[in-house]
Formats: sequence, structure tokens, C-alpha cells
Amino acid sequence: MNYFMNLVMSGLVIGTLYGMVAMGFAIIYRATGMVNFAQGEVMMLIAYMSYTFATIPGMTFIPLLACVLVASIVLGLLIEWAFIRPMLGESMFSRVMVTIGLAVVIRSTVILIWGVEPTAFPRPFGNAVIRFGDMALYPGQIFALISLAVLSLAMWLFFRRSRVGIAMRATSNNETTALLMGINVKRISAIAWALSAVFAAFSGLAFCLMFSLEPEISQMGLRGFPATILGGLDSVVGGAFGGLVIGVVENLAGGYLGRGLKEIAGFVLIIVVLMIKPYGLFGQREIERV
Amino acid sequence: MRSRTYQNSYASLVALSSQPTAWVWGAIGILVLALMPTLFGSFGLNMLTAIFVASIGVLGLNLLSGVAGQISLGHAGFLLIGAYAQAILTTDYKVPTLMAIFLSGFVAAVASLVVGIPSLRLKGLYLAITTLAFTFIVRHIVLFAEGITRGSAGMPVDALTIFGFSFKGDVRFYYAALVMLLVFILITLNLMRSRIGRAWLALRDHDIAARAMGIDLMRYKLLAFMVSAFYTGVAGAMVALQTRFINVDTFSILISIEALAMVIVGGMGRVHGAILGTALIILLPELLNLGFSAAGDNFKTLMADRIYEVKGMMYGIVILLFLRLEPEGMAGIWRKSKRFWVQWPLSQ
Repeated sequence: MNYFMNLVMSGLVIGTLYGMVAMGFAIIYRATGMVNFAQGEVMMLIAYMSYTFATIPGMTFIPLLACVLVASIVLGLLIEWAFIRPMLGESMFSRVMVTIGLAVVIRSTVILIWGVEPTAFPRPFGNAVIRFGDMALYPGQIFALISLAVLSLAMWLFFRRSRVGIAMRATSNNETTALLMGINVKRISAIAWALSAVFAAFSGLAFCLMFSLEPEISQMGLRGFPATILGGLDSVVGGAFGGLVIGVVENLAGGYLGRGLKEIAGFVLIIVVLMIKPYGLFGQREIERV
Repeated sequence: MRSRTYQNSYASLVALSSQPTAWVWGAIGILVLALMPTLFGSFGLNMLTAIFVASIGVLGLNLLSGVAGQISLGHAGFLLIGAYAQAILTTDYKVPTLMAIFLSGFVAAVASLVVGIPSLRLKGLYLAITTLAFTFIVRHIVLFAEGITRGSAGMPVDALTIFGFSFKGDVRFYYAALVMLLVFILITLNLMRSRIGRAWLALRDHDIAARAMGIDLMRYKLLAFMVSAFYTGVAGAMVALQTRFINVDTFSILISIEALAMVIVGGMGRVHGAILGTALIILLPELLNLGFSAAGDNFKTLMADRIYEVKGMMYGIVILLFLRLEPEGMAGIWRKSKRFWVQWPLSQ
């Protein structure tokens, strides 16, 4: 039982990372109807940038977080302005291919600048284990869990209550109608990219605080796809839930069925889920009218 | 000024080539390629062979993505299946090598049903992600089914032998790859002018309209997947035969992206585009090397240490540039420049 609980707990912690990545995918899908295949690479770039900030002498955690958030918002807006906006109105295939091209460019640039060797990231909360009854968690893991909880609550409120969130829902529903209703569609897309970069910043920081700074961070983008699909591409809060499920499933499969299965359990799961529910668990059905 | 744009019959619309001169130019092109071994050394020849082999796979991806409009990020998986099928069939089951090439294609085609069947209900991006998942799963199966695939150790591959004649050596294998590519070009051109090719175009442009006109979406989507996987499987077998040793690491996810870059750079849905795009992407690192050898030693060491990253960056930049500036790819450039010279003093 203890073994089981341990697997579930560490699965939940990994799942928070998947969840944050999935939320980053979902918010862009919601606002613009496309998948950002560069999400993992944006996460990697922000993680490396935050390492550069963190090594400034005298840097404590709160200013670091502020710097990273500002940098990520600027990065998100920059990417949207330079690469995504000019492709507005092109076919979906070319727009998605732009993000794939961008992914390769960012990954290579980061490795060219910072190198491939894993580096230890500074630990602002120390390395002491914090105990809650039977469970023991590292500060980095607690940061990840809290981030996911705060972000998903914020997103839920954002889409329910705020004007921009509702405008975003309208845009994803029908871009032309939203435009006619006086919604600034370009601004919506920019906001979505900035928000997605903020998610990338939180997940990147959490990854660095739990493991180390390494090029494998970019793999998290691809590995976050099962969570995104499970929650439904267009459901931001569903993505968070999907992440937790995938994290636990992967860990249980790795723990009970064999080590090779850990990496692919999520992918096998989504192929099965998609055969039964083609739009994920929380996704909206697209009904086509001729 | 000549004008051959107007066709009077369906037969001439679907003819393999609208102009008799195309045959002459085709024959001249083949002759030139056949004489290449007298011009190039082993390095250049290997490069050309790699272009031919990759072109076979890219033709397959082009049929799926460019002609039938289904995005696939899973072609590295099919390539991997083809290569391993070739290695396993020839070493463990002693299947004749030529037969094994086509069997590898069939194995990949059957495996494509795993992706193809969910794709019947999925569209666009969901499909792309499923194909990506497929690549991950295939890689892990190959790594962990050590009894069959030797796991991470990799496998040596027998040389291509047809009726006792061995295609060992650069020059011989070059001709084998050339003939194989020509066969697949002919198959592709014929597929594209047949009912199947036109059905694929229809379902790419508007699948609901295509369905209303009596095209069985399920059948043609699955067929597109299977044909594309067959091409890629054959290409994988040829890669195995060329390198004579295969390993999972050779077939990373980057290969799928590289292949998509080749399709986009060449021009979606065009046969000559697929080949031009493949050639450009494969030769790009060499061209860059030549271009920067003047830039001094600093750059050379960078190229040597970080060749993988520099290459990745280049693919990305080339994809971005072509998507922004010439979405029709090299086939588009070719068409425009041809029209310019054909209509010359009147061209705009």
C-alpha cells in the first residue's frame, strides 16, 4: 500500500508539470484554434533564461519570479508578433508547421548558447524534506503542486468572469462573428500567447526546482500531449486534470508493469481514449455544418 | 509564345505528361544521373544515394500530407519499422533481400492501420498528435523487444543481392537506389492521375463535399495511410541497406520533422517538388559548410562540435522562410520561372 501511495504521489507531482504544459497548449488552442508545437521549447528557453536571472548575486525567489514572469510575457508577445500574426489567414497546416519550425530553431539556439550539459539550478527553498504525516515532499514539488492549483483556479475564474476570458471563448467559437461583435481578435491571440508563455514559465521553473536545468526540458512539450488530449484540446482546466491523471497512470504502469511502459503509457492511453471519445474527456464536440 | 493550358478531353487532362518534350527531358535527366558515378567520388555518390532513398519516403509523405491532406508526425516510426523489418527478415528468416524490401513496405503498411483507424474519427491536429504518439510507441517497442530486435545494440544488415548479383559498394548501390526511385516516381505519377489520386485531392480540399460526391472517406483515408507507410517502409529498408547497420537512435522524431520540411520546401502535393525539396534539405549542411569555410576556423569548429544543432536550426529557418515567402515551395519557384521564360517578352 505504501508503495502504491508513493507511486501515486510522485505521479501527481510529475502530473502537475504535464498539467501546466497542457494548459499552455489549451489556451492557445482556445483562442486561435491551433496547436503550438513549440510549447516545450518555449518552456526550455524560459527555464534557461531564469537560470541566468537566478545566478545574479543577491537574487531571492520573489524578484526572480517577477523577472521570469515579465520575461515570459515579453517572449510570448514577441513570438506571436513575429511568427504567428503574419500567418493569420493561412491554412492550418502551414500555421502549425510554423510552430514546428520555431520549435527546432529555439531548441538549437538554446543549446548553442547554454550548452548541453545538465546544470544544477539554485534551490531558493533549500533541500530539506517537508513532511505531511506519511508523505514527504521536497520544496520544489510543493511549488509545482501549488502553482498548478493557483493557475487552474485563476484560469477557471478568468474564463467565467473576466471580459477578456469571455471574449476569448467567443473568438474560439467563431472568429468572424467575434470580430463583428467588436472583439479585437488580434489582441486576443496576443494575450493567449502571453498567457501560454506564463504557463511555460511556471512549468519550466517547477521542472528546474525538482530536477535540474537540462535540454530534456523541451521533451516535456511532446510528453505533455497525452494530458492535453485527455483533457480535450480546448479545455484549459481539463488539461490540468488530464495532466494529473496521465502522471499517475504513467507512474503506476512503470511501477507495476515494467520500466519500459512508463514512457509510453500516456500515449497508449490517449490512442485508446481517442478511439472512444474523439475530442477527449472534456473537449467540445465540433459539429460541422455544410 | 506557346500555350498548352487548354485541354479538350478528359484523357488529355489525366495524361501522364501533357507535352511530348517532357519524355525527352526525362530521358536526358536519367542519362545524366546514370553517368554521375563517373563524375563523383564515393562521398558525392553516397550523398546522391541518400537523396534518392529519402526521396522515396518523402514521396510517400507527400501523398499523405500534400495530396490527401492528413498531417503526419509519425513517419520516423514507419521508417524505423521498414528498416528493422528488412534487417530481421534477411538475417533471421533468410528472406531474399529484394523480396524483403517490399515485405518491409507491407509490414509498415499494416502497422499504419494502428494510426489509420483512429484517424477515421480524428481531424487535423488530433491526428498529428496520434501519429506522434505512434512514433514514441514504436521506438519503445523496438528498444524493449530485445529478443527480436536486439534492443539498443542495433542490428547489422545484409547487402542487397538480386539473383546472386551483389549490390555491395557505392556505385552498384547507387544504381539500385536510382532504379528504385524511378519505379516509385512512376507509381506516384500514375496514382495521382487515377481515381484514387483524385479522390485524395477531393478529400483534402473539402471532405464533406467529397463524401457527398460518393467518395468513401474511410476507405480512401486508410488507403492514403497505407500507401504512404508502404513508401516509407521501403525507404526504411533502403536506408538499412545503404548504412548496413541500424539502431533506434538513427530514427529520432527529428526525422519526421525533416521529412515535413522536405515536403514543404519542395511544394505540397507535387512529385518533382518532393524530390527537389529532399535534395535541397540534404545538401543544405554541405552548402553551408562550403559557404562558411571562408569564414575561418572558428566557424569550422562550431560546425564540427554542434553539427546537430546547426542542422536543426537550419531546417527550422528554412521551413519558416518557405512558409512565409513561397508557400508553394520549389515547385512553385520552378513553375513561375518556367512561365516567365515561356511567355518572355510579354511576361510580367
